[in-house]
Amino acid sequence: MSTLEGLHVIGEANFSDHGANRLGASALMQGLADGYFVLPYTIGNYLAKAELKKIDADTPECKATVKEVEDKINKLINVNGTKTPSYFHRKLGKLMWDKVGMARNEAGLKHALEEIPKIREEFWKDVKISGTGAEYNISLEKASRVADFLEFAEIMAYDALDRDESAGAHFREEHQTPDGEAKRNDDDYRYVAAWEYKGVGQRPELHKEQLEFENVKLAVRSYK
Amino acid sequence: MLGFLKSSILSKFVVAITGLLMVGFIIGHTLGNLLIYAGPEAINTYAVGLKDIGGVVWAMRIVLIISLILHVIATINLVRHNRKVAGNYKVTNHKAATFSSKFMAYAGLTILFFVLYHLAHFTFGVVDANAFSMEATLDNGRVVHDVYSMVVLGFRNVIVSLFYIIAVVFLGFHLKHGIHSMFQSLGIHGKKFTPMIQKVAALVSFVIVISLISIPISIMLGIVGGQV
Amino acid sequence: MNLKLHIWRQKNNKANGAFEQYAVSDISEDMSFLEMLDVLNEDLIVEGKDPVAFDHDCREGICGACSMTINGNPHGPEKATTACQLHMRKFKDGQEVYIEPFRNKSFPVIRDLVVNRSALDRIIESGGYISVKTGSAPDANDIAVAKSKADVAMDAAACIGCGACVAACPNGAAMLFTSAKLKHLNVLPQGQAEKKKRTLAMVDQMDKEGFGSCTNHYECEAACPKSISVEFISEMNFEYAKARATAYRD
Ligand code: HEM
Ligand code: SF4
Ligand code: FES
Repeated sequence: MSTLEGLHVIGEANFSDHGANRLGASALMQGLADGYFVLPYTIGNYLAKAELKKIDADTPECKATVKEVEDKINKLINVNGTKTPSYFHRKLGKLMWDKVGMARNEAGLKHALEEIPKIREEFWKDVKISGTGAEYNISLEKASRVADFLEFAEIMAYDALDRDESAGAHFREEHQTPDGEAKRNDDDYRYVAAWEYKGVGQRPELHKEQLEFENVKLAVRSYK
Repeated sequence: MLGFLKSSILSKFVVAITGLLMVGFIIGHTLGNLLIYAGPEAINTYAVGLKDIGGVVWAMRIVLIISLILHVIATINLVRHNRKVAGNYKVTNHKAATFSSKFMAYAGLTILFFVLYHLAHFTFGVVDANAFSMEATLDNGRVVHDVYSMVVLGFRNVIVSLFYIIAVVFLGFHLKHGIHSMFQSLGIHGKKFTPMIQKVAALVSFVIVISLISIPISIMLGIVGGQV
Repeated sequence: MNLKLHIWRQKNNKANGAFEQYAVSDISEDMSFLEMLDVLNEDLIVEGKDPVAFDHDCREGICGACSMTINGNPHGPEKATTACQLHMRKFKDGQEVYIEPFRNKSFPVIRDLVVNRSALDRIIESGGYISVKTGSAPDANDIAVAKSKADVAMDAAACIGCGACVAACPNGAAMLFTSAKLKHLNVLPQGQAEKKKRTLAMVDQMDKEGFGSCTNHYECEAACPKSISVEFISEMNFEYAKARATAYRD
């Protein structure tokens, strides 16, 4: 269970055994192992005892969220520009692939941090969505996702720039051994980074959760 | 008693079990009919023999009639519901369904009308009362209902024979799908068994069709019953 | 390659639908069928028209969302392949292609090619839970599962709940889906405790949703992107009849 009552982080989202990077097979194994061993003990156990009350749609929190979503939808529909949501998706995707991919470097990440807000700005000025918010609308759905990506991509770039070491799937080209292996910097970066969203275009705030190793010693993993 | 109609699977069970009973009957009936090739003596003896053990035959008839009624009620109910809910496509492109499987309801209805006519004709004699009241004398001197002549005279009528042949061919299609289908419906399925039973179903249906339609054809060609 | 598409357009569940014709050109044969539709939709949005709504998620054949009937075949002509995994090279240049939603009375159209397949979810839901010991983690080899049973359960669990079986069925039946979901748990030791209850509940829910009844055409098996076997339907028939026959004892 997370710090929120009833919200369990489990399966692919649980990273207790494998580190923070999710690579295909380790995520799959985590899902399988959690499904068999951890679920009955956690969610099953929670549900067996929980009193699940109906949630009222009239609470202020609920109303505020509905309004927030409605406002966002209206804003998107009203842009009425010339380019499709997919156009922005591709443009952002290409930038992320080139500059914030597995191998990244300081210059590239800084470039990405300049470009992402520009794409976002263009998106909010020139995206074109057909139809309305009152119907099943696939271009609106896609646009909402791209709008999210445009915010999340920026946090990813901030994090990649901030972590001045190579670790797992985060390969900073500046930090590698002579034969091209990732070089960690445990002294300065032995923490989990939790970024707090501060609003669109604002620099998110970094919270560090220090990692303590009591029983195992940190070592370099070699795939050779 | 008709509560099973509410359940798709129980309806399937009823269709399959009543189908199975009727298949048993059809096989027996076909074998009996083939006695016509052995001449008047054989088939008339067989017919009167059936009458003599009356009780059992009547019990079987009742079971068959109830089977037929339940079979018809269940299938009509299923087909009507299925037609209502199944998608109506502009383009259809069936990959697995066969002519027989798609023809079940039409074949079934034809058989139903045929069965009613057939009973009226040969069992109750309302079609041709004259032919129905003919009598024959067996070798042992007993005077019995002349089934042989009744059948021969009946099938000399081209229209009657044609209707019979069409109905029997439809029955063949119905059985080609039905004999395999009833096993699947009852839960008897296997990677080897199912392809095997599909072949057996085709073979049995084919033999039944050939056996049954050979009778009116032989009669019309004068191969059987020339002396009547 | 160029194609002439006839696509079912329907604004919502209450509106009447109709086919509309579209020409798409310069389609790469390496594209998937959905990518071809993406190309069409880009053009439609730029022209200020409503794009063709279709469902999709994973685009790798595992989520079961991409429901559409292509030239009379749910998920298209290719055997054991979802629409998202179907390549355009399977079509001929200049071919006419009819694209319709999955059609069934219990799959109301939401828009164009998108249908509501919640009826299938409700069937799963009616199956309920399996009993597990909560409160502590189970031991690794606590419950022995024979390899042969694990294999059958795995085959049944391959069902992605796409509904192609329902869409393909000339009777509008959902029996392949329901039987796969039943088999998946009924064959495992973990599924034994609630087996009878589950079998009755899921089949009854299937009937309640209004699905049709199987007459063994086997169109479902031919359309299923995961090649689920109609053997499961046969077993479900038997299990259900058995459960009904012995239900009075409980
Ligand atoms: C001598 C008469 C008949 C025989 C021997 C017979 C036999 C069968 C058999 C063995 C099945 C397959 C059962 C199953 O799959 O569960 C079947 C199915 C069916 N029968 Fe008949 N039947 C006869 C008469 C009729 C009649 C009179 C009708 C129609 C009114 C009819 C309509 C159907 C239909 C629609 C099915 C489809 C169900 C299915 O494919 O499973 N049958 N029949
Ligand atoms: S049985 Fe096959 S066709 Fe039916 S829902 Fe499952 S995967 Fe789809
Ligand atoms: S989009 Fe997931 S199976 Fe096709």
